[in-house]
Amino acid sequence: MTLLGQTVAVAGKDLRIEARGRYALGAVLPFAGTLLVAFGLSLGPGRTLLQQTAPGLLWLAVLFASILAFRQAYQAEGEDGAIEGLLLSPIDKAAVFLGKAAAVTLELLVMEAAVVPIVAAMFALSLGDAPLVLVGAFVLGTIGLAAVGSLFGVLVESPRAREAVFPLLILPLATPVLVAGVKATELAATGRGGQAGSWLSLLVAFDLVVLGVGTLVFGHLLED
Amino acid sequence: MASLTDPDALVAERRSGPEEIAPPAVRLSAVTRVFGVAPALVRADLRVERGEVLLVRGPNGAGKSTLLRVIATALSPTYGSGSVLGFDLVTGREEIRRRIELLGHRTRLYEDLTAKENLRFACTMYGLDPGEVDPVLRRVGLAGAAGERVRGYSQGMRQRVAVARALLRTPELLLLDEPYAGLDEAGKDVVDVAILAARAEGRTAVLATHDRTRGSMATRTVFMDGGRLLPELGAAEVR
Amino acid sequence: MSSAERMMALLTARRGERILAGLALTSLAASAILSLVVSPPDAEQGNLIRLMYVHVPAAWVAYLAFAVVFVSSIAYLVTKRTRWDRLAAASAEIGVVFTALTIVLGSIWAKPVWGTWWTWDPRLTTTAILLLIYVGYLAVRRLPDSPARRARWAAVVGIVGFVDVPIVHLSVRWWRSLHQAPARLLGVPDVSPIMGAALGIGFLAFTLTYVYLMAVRLRVGRLEERAVAEALSPRVGQPVEVLMEEPARG
Repeated sequence: MTLLGQTVAVAGKDLRIEARGRYALGAVLPFAGTLLVAFGLSLGPGRTLLQQTAPGLLWLAVLFASILAFRQAYQAEGEDGAIEGLLLSPIDKAAVFLGKAAAVTLELLVMEAAVVPIVAAMFALSLGDAPLVLVGAFVLGTIGLAAVGSLFGVLVESPRAREAVFPLLILPLATPVLVAGVKATELAATGRGGQAGSWLSLLVAFDLVVLGVGTLVFGHLLED
Repeated sequence: MASLTDPDALVAERRSGPEEIAPPAVRLSAVTRVFGVAPALVRADLRVERGEVLLVRGPNGAGKSTLLRVIATALSPTYGSGSVLGFDLVTGREEIRRRIELLGHRTRLYEDLTAKENLRFACTMYGLDPGEVDPVLRRVGLAGAAGERVRGYSQGMRQRVAVARALLRTPELLLLDEPYAGLDEAGKDVVDVAILAARAEGRTAVLATHDRTRGSMATRTVFMDGGRLLPELGAAEVR
Repeated sequence: MSSAERMMALLTARRGERILAGLALTSLAASAILSLVVSPPDAEQGNLIRLMYVHVPAAWVAYLAFAVVFVSSIAYLVTKRTRWDRLAAASAEIGVVFTALTIVLGSIWAKPVWGTWWTWDPRLTTTAILLLIYVGYLAVRRLPDSPARRARWAAVVGIVGFVDVPIVHLSVRWWRSLHQAPARLLGVPDVSPIMGAALGIGFLAFTLTYVYLMAVRLRVGRLEERAVAEALSPRVGQPVEVLMEEPARG
């Protein structure tokens, strides 16, 4: 079976589990909702301030949501030691990395599809000006976050894993996604979508680099 | 293996092919596995010929699990070397994995999938024919419950799914690590189905258990304690 | 032994360490004299410019150390020889110190010049991210209990981290360039020959200090391994020397 086929199989398995138990969505949606309402309240009702900070807050919510989503994703593997099963099978280990990244990307996109319009309403952001840029930014950025999370999510499985290590690693590594995503969103929401080209290409470059390097090294993380 | 190229593999390739005409199923040479500063397996020397059913006995914490997991390449040796079915433990990992199945304490199932879905996923991973899933589920007595999520299964039912997976695969080397734990007699019989099938087909099995009522089909017994394989006793003394 | 191994052995022997220490101290002294006494104060920043002579070399070492982590990590994954992991670990520990130093010095410099302790200057920000990545690297090293796994995980973090840093820098630089006209960035005054010499000696001094610290850290690392091997030896029934050799490649 090709790498693509194996990736699809792994992603399909993850998505099926998610569909059954709604673990990621169940953790992520309430979290995102609470976070954004809390921000809205703590920043006060000033419309301009809310408008200006909304893109940043949105992306922060996505970033933290991705951390939660990966915790869930690797939890299913940990329950009965299924991850050892993946290690011992002859599939290309890169397929596990890519498959999990793909599954979480889709889960996060579902969350974003729900949350972004709500935030736009709450924070008076206009979304209609450059919809392609907006969608592009969120899709590319989410892929980037999912790639980093899928790669390092395995570390959560260690016997001495402390909760803090995973976010500690993800946050600095995902900085380009945060910066580029926020800028692109900001430009799209303020009618300057045409200028977002370089930010979107930065996201593409980031995605390619992480997916590429991850494909090469993921196997090393699984071995004991 | 998706990794940066390993120059050792080029050298090992000549060695990682079958050693002689009929390489032993398992050959371990002073294999030690350490966790931190705690050695779980100490200088294990073992040779298992093809077609044998080796019984490994020993108290809890004797290192039986570690031994089996090292043979299965789930763990790499900290010191020492070895081969399984002629392939080196470290450089021939992927080849070994294609040919062995580990039935461990952990069932390695996905709780939210049904038995059928779990097995179908295993088929995808090992390139097996998914059409075999239903017959094998019948063989282990799970035909009825196959459509329910594993989360609702008893320990016995879960172990049956694991056995079904081993039967699907007919691996050249079957490793069983305390497979009878938590099972009733009927469940234990199901596990034996897999071992007997292996034996009947000339394949090799290594069974580690401290259940004294099982293991009569073994051709040889070894004992472990404190991470070490004890020197073997003659067949008469084993009884 | 290969010539590289011979050089490593020389450098890390006690005598080699003493020579390195001497060289490092001498060059640090020379750098101090040049930067504090000989070189002139800057037209705009006055004596504050002297911070450049420590801040910039410290930054250089911070990134050099991480480059060493990167190369060692790749070498480890390719060859599986523990010496590369030891090198990476040592470089990471020393690098994190220099990174923190760079940030603190940059902060001290920024306060009088720009009136604020922190500025989202692209280089300072990237260095802060680098610090976080270093800390992540060191944290990951503490997770696994098998040395082979620790080395592998650390190597992956080292590789991904290093590859990420230029992308981070690029993104922060673009982000900043939109916000304000390029104000006088830290460390870009017109450099007269004396200042250039002072800076150059500073680079040399800090690099030598890094090499010296690496030598010491590698020796300590070997002592740690010896201690572990000695604890393990009775339990495993193998002499310490055998355990100290490359263990089975995991």
